[in-house]
Amino acid sequence: MQVVAEGFNAFETQKTPQGEVKYLGSPQDVIDVVQSGKLQEYILLVRGGTTTFLTPALTMGALGVITMSGAPESHLGILSREFQIPCVMTAYLTESDSRYVVGNTDDSHFDEIAQSLIGKTVQLNCDDAEVGRVSLIG
Amino acid sequence: MSIEMTPGLRSTYKQRYEPVDDGLRFQELVFEGNFVGQEPMRDGILGDKVQKQRAKSKVLEKVTKDDVLADQFTLDELNDLNNYLAWNIWDVLVMRATEGVSGMIPRQEYEILAFMHQFYRWPEILRMTTDEVGSQGILDIGASARREIGTKVNAVHDWSIGAVGFGMGRCGLLALEAIGPDDYIEESNELLKFMQRIEFGKRQDGYILNSQDRYRCQIHEPDFLQGIIDQIEDLEPESPRHNSFTRFNAAAELLSFLDHMDCRLGLGDTGPYELPNGNLLILRDLFVNEPIFHWSDVCDDAKLPHAYTVAIVIDPEKMGLQEIRVNDISTTFTRPKNYIPAIVGGAVFAREKHDTPMSEVRTIAIDDLGAELPRIQDATLKMYRKVSRMCRRDLIWAGQYVYYVDMILPYLRKAGTYEKACNEYQLWEIDQRVSNYYYDINKRGFAQEVVPQKIFSGQGYLPFGEGADLRRSKYRWL
Repeated sequence: MQVVAEGFNAFETQKTPQGEVKYLGSPQDVIDVVQSGKLQEYILLVRGGTTTFLTPALTMGALGVITMSGAPESHLGILSREFQIPCVMTAYLTESDSRYVVGNTDDSHFDEIAQSLIGKTVQLNCDDAEVGRVSLIG
Repeated sequence: MSIEMTPGLRSTYKQRYEPVDDGLRFQELVFEGNFVGQEPMRDGILGDKVQKQRAKSKVLEKVTKDDVLADQFTLDELNDLNNYLAWNIWDVLVMRATEGVSGMIPRQEYEILAFMHQFYRWPEILRMTTDEVGSQGILDIGASARREIGTKVNAVHDWSIGAVGFGMGRCGLLALEAIGPDDYIEESNELLKFMQRIEFGKRQDGYILNSQDRYRCQIHEPDFLQGIIDQIEDLEPESPRHNSFTRFNAAAELLSFLDHMDCRLGLGDTGPYELPNGNLLILRDLFVNEPIFHWSDVCDDAKLPHAYTVAIVIDPEKMGLQEIRVNDISTTFTRPKNYIPAIVGGAVFAREKHDTPMSEVRTIAIDDLGAELPRIQDATLKMYRKVSRMCRRDLIWAGQYVYYVDMILPYLRKAGTYEKACNEYQLWEIDQRVSNYYYDINKRGFAQEVVPQKIFSGQGYLPFGEGADLRRSKYRWL
């Protein structure tokens, strides 16, 4: 499998969730995906590393999460560990030089990641102490 | 980011408590703060050691009751506390600074408004509270945490008085150039004295912060703790009961974050307490229903208690525990990070109201948690819908209230001065200066770039000037 993105690993786990990448841009997107009954088909991609935005998805049992900012010490990192939902944080594309910098990251950074991952079927590998990986399937 | 950690499964965490040990590094970043030109500081036990070495006073060593009862810090003590809190804030929060925008709650914006509001308004309210109950009374409020669970007199609230109200509040106002380094020294003393007295009363070992004691918060009296331990049920990892317990913990934790506008005031960990068989106990208070917030009505409707307390027993050998930190914002971090599979026992308690007597705190059997969980999830989903429909301005002021009111609420409640603060000191009003800053925080990336950079780097915590007058407030608006 090709590793297309890497980031901070929220916690070490042998779980390797697979699913289609679903980008959630607004609270309504989160509500919609939970109400669709298809939550278990998706790996959720979000921009921020905070907890509250993903609340319904976390409490209803999301498979896996990729964030474009945040670290294991942030609220989402803590909650993903408590829920045992594999989570790759501050993910960056392995074939791109663009990196997230606190307070100084252009929208193009987030757009590039989203466009590269949305709709792709991926697997999360979070067995490393530090690095979480996103791999393309098929 | 790498961790200097001994490979292998054998637990080595007890080495962290040996005096010569410098602890693990949980992050690669370094801290300079006010120590310009000196060796940059590191996180964890090593950082605490260096801070103590560089201090000009003894305020970071074990202090005495007489020290704490004295009304006035010296200038060196104030600056040592300022430097220490700046490092401590960096130590516990800098990696959180990476989390970016929420997508729902404008947290950076509400935080900076609250910091500044606290610095302006808390001093007279805390002084009034001290006048009402006396200095010993403040120590007693801190000490009440030793025989309670489900109490907000806890590490994160206690730390917030000094680290947030004084440290980040002053730092934010300095960054905004609304004040100078020698303004509001008298008020700074008031905030730091209140924090020191609460913390000293709670810990009773002479230290005031968990980081000074290698990240331990072992505050409960042994006989009280035994009453909790007696309720613990064994849990077999990966069993349905283990899953039920960990899922309950996570769901209640999530609701406590949401009820406090994505803030850690909803959580409170104490420990780790070593049990006779070598396992470790963490006590975690989860405040799932804070009735002073109007959005918490959904928690009332779901008949949720004020707080659940989850007793978590971890087998350190099972996870090869290298270090465990119960930090000053009441959050437990471990290396390795995933302690959930190493949970081998647990218990759950419910405290209906903040002042429900300990004798009436009820134990919830782990087999009954399945019935408890849907009510938590119901309240969580309803609160999410409610919050997601709030406009940005309402969200910012709601979050501001969570910080500004909740961070001193437990002491005012215990002292019996909350109503007086509301009625005579207009606690829930917003100071006109802070109201005006609402517009400033959106300019030039102030909330999302300038303040985090100043706060997390430590550069913004300017020292009080040499020879500054300890009685000084702010006398000129020029």
